[in-house]
Amino acid sequence: MAKRKIPRLLQTPAVVLLLLWMLIPLGMTLYFSFIRYVLNNLRRPEWTTPSFSNWRGFGNYEYVLFHAKDFWFAVQNSLFIVGCILVGTVLLGLALAMLVNRSFRGRGIVRVLLISPFFVMPAVNAVLWINMILDPVLGLNGLAVGGINNIVNGLRDFPLLGSFFSLWPEFEPVSFRATQTSAYAVIMMVTWQWTPFAVLIFMTSLQSEDEQQKEAAILDGANAWSRFRNLTLPHLARPIAIVVMIQSIFHLSLYAEIEITSRGNGNKNLPYLIGEFTSNNIGAASAAGIFAVILANIVAIFLLRMVGKNLMD
Amino acid sequence: MAAVAQQSRFGSVFWTVLAWVVALIFFFPIFWMVFTSFKTDADAVKPEHLFLFTPTLENYLNMTENYDYWRFAKNSAITATFATLFALFVGVPCAYAMAFNPSRHTKDILVWMLSTKMLPAAAVLYPMTFLTKNFLQIFDTHFLIVLVLCLINLPIAIWMLFTYFKEIPKEIIEAGKMDGVSTWGEIKDILIPLAWGGVASTALLTFIFCWNEAYWTVRLTTTEAATLSKLIEGNRAPEGLFFGRLSAVSTAAVGPIVVLGWFCQKQLVRGLTFGAVK
Repeated sequence: MAKRKIPRLLQTPAVVLLLLWMLIPLGMTLYFSFIRYVLNNLRRPEWTTPSFSNWRGFGNYEYVLFHAKDFWFAVQNSLFIVGCILVGTVLLGLALAMLVNRSFRGRGIVRVLLISPFFVMPAVNAVLWINMILDPVLGLNGLAVGGINNIVNGLRDFPLLGSFFSLWPEFEPVSFRATQTSAYAVIMMVTWQWTPFAVLIFMTSLQSEDEQQKEAAILDGANAWSRFRNLTLPHLARPIAIVVMIQSIFHLSLYAEIEITSRGNGNKNLPYLIGEFTSNNIGAASAAGIFAVILANIVAIFLLRMVGKNLMD
Repeated sequence: MAAVAQQSRFGSVFWTVLAWVVALIFFFPIFWMVFTSFKTDADAVKPEHLFLFTPTLENYLNMTENYDYWRFAKNSAITATFATLFALFVGVPCAYAMAFNPSRHTKDILVWMLSTKMLPAAAVLYPMTFLTKNFLQIFDTHFLIVLVLCLINLPIAIWMLFTYFKEIPKEIIEAGKMDGVSTWGEIKDILIPLAWGGVASTALLTFIFCWNEAYWTVRLTTTEAATLSKLIEGNRAPEGLFFGRLSAVSTAAVGPIVVLGWFCQKQLVRGLTFGAVK
């Protein structure tokens, strides 16, 4: 009796805390998503306090799905951003992990340099990229384009070749704060930050690769590409799946980067849209929140299954 | 044969150089931030001072004046430290029980804990604001931020601790039990000394995640408990006027954490993949 009791007692605080953390706010979101609830409304002041008498059924969901401007754009954009980041980090991560997975001079330092971006706080990451690097006038982006223009201008005065260069247009630096391009800025900075994560995981996994099998393949005359394609890639299938799922969950809720880059101008994702709804229409924010939970769960279920499977061995 | 060796030596130099170049490119934004932090605000935006300038420490010396840096840094340090301690305080006994006295449900509980981590924060933004502001009146307090940081990192801490504890042979703990050591004694005198490295890296990683957190620390604070994430986000668009001082404050905000991170890159894999990649 006592033998069973103590372990349970030890787990109780953690379980209770997490249970409260999950149930109370989520329960409130669920409740708010079914009632009319706005923070400011002079015409209908009764809507400004949450109450059962303002029951709206699935009205908020209907509003979010069919009438709210930006909802579908936000969903689409969330998926676009996550998709681009995933492709970028996995491809770069594979290439870099292969590159670093051999012993060479200074490997330790190279690893430290490569992993560093991952520990930069997201707010600093975004401020650094959007200002110091991507700013179209004062950032490196603007300076580089200006430099190229200067060189081209200089070349225009050359005899013979000059006529060729005078055909070149004056280059315009891309502004990444603008509506169409801010998503690319976010993709760039997050890819930079999370590629190290992919590298680290692929590298860990590469260390358990069967070396003998590889040597046998070399003796059989398999070239590097076919060794990578037929031995390494299958070996990495599982880590790739893990990287994809963990990143999906993290990046579906990107916020700070989007806020800092353009304040959601032309580049909203679902969490950002929920944040905007929250400034007044709580009903709609909650309904959109439930959609975000569903979207995250689709990924999470796969991940949890995979993680759970090899938990006890 | 000689030709092959020659070629592979050339190949090996080539790949080494490439690895170095790529690593330097990846590190470049951080280098650039640190580099810019030693320029005056005026120099920082002049192309002629891109690489050549007189380095100055004024941006660092004026951090308090310009940004009130230390107040935010203090808040970050306090909240991250206490959230980490609290997470360990709750997490160690839990992981201990799960690792040494697993029941039929242990696996399900662990997976469920992880699932709480996957709840999108935005979905519960308003309820959290409402509860803490109107109901509990703990909005913008250190207590709230400690609690939230602890809760969002607790699943990862428990998972990490669990994977470390599982590596300890059960017999050692059992032997302690035979000798009539209390549960608390088992944890304090047997478990923690044995799993010291695991506990330390869990603490380190939890601390890093707390420090870098940028959603709740920004949404649930105004001034009192505002952390460095909030400070930086509040100065998001200086339009080129303050690149120097902004770089300095950013460097100060991430510097210690990046260095800490170097020490726990291996544990990161364990902590973020929940033991699924070995």
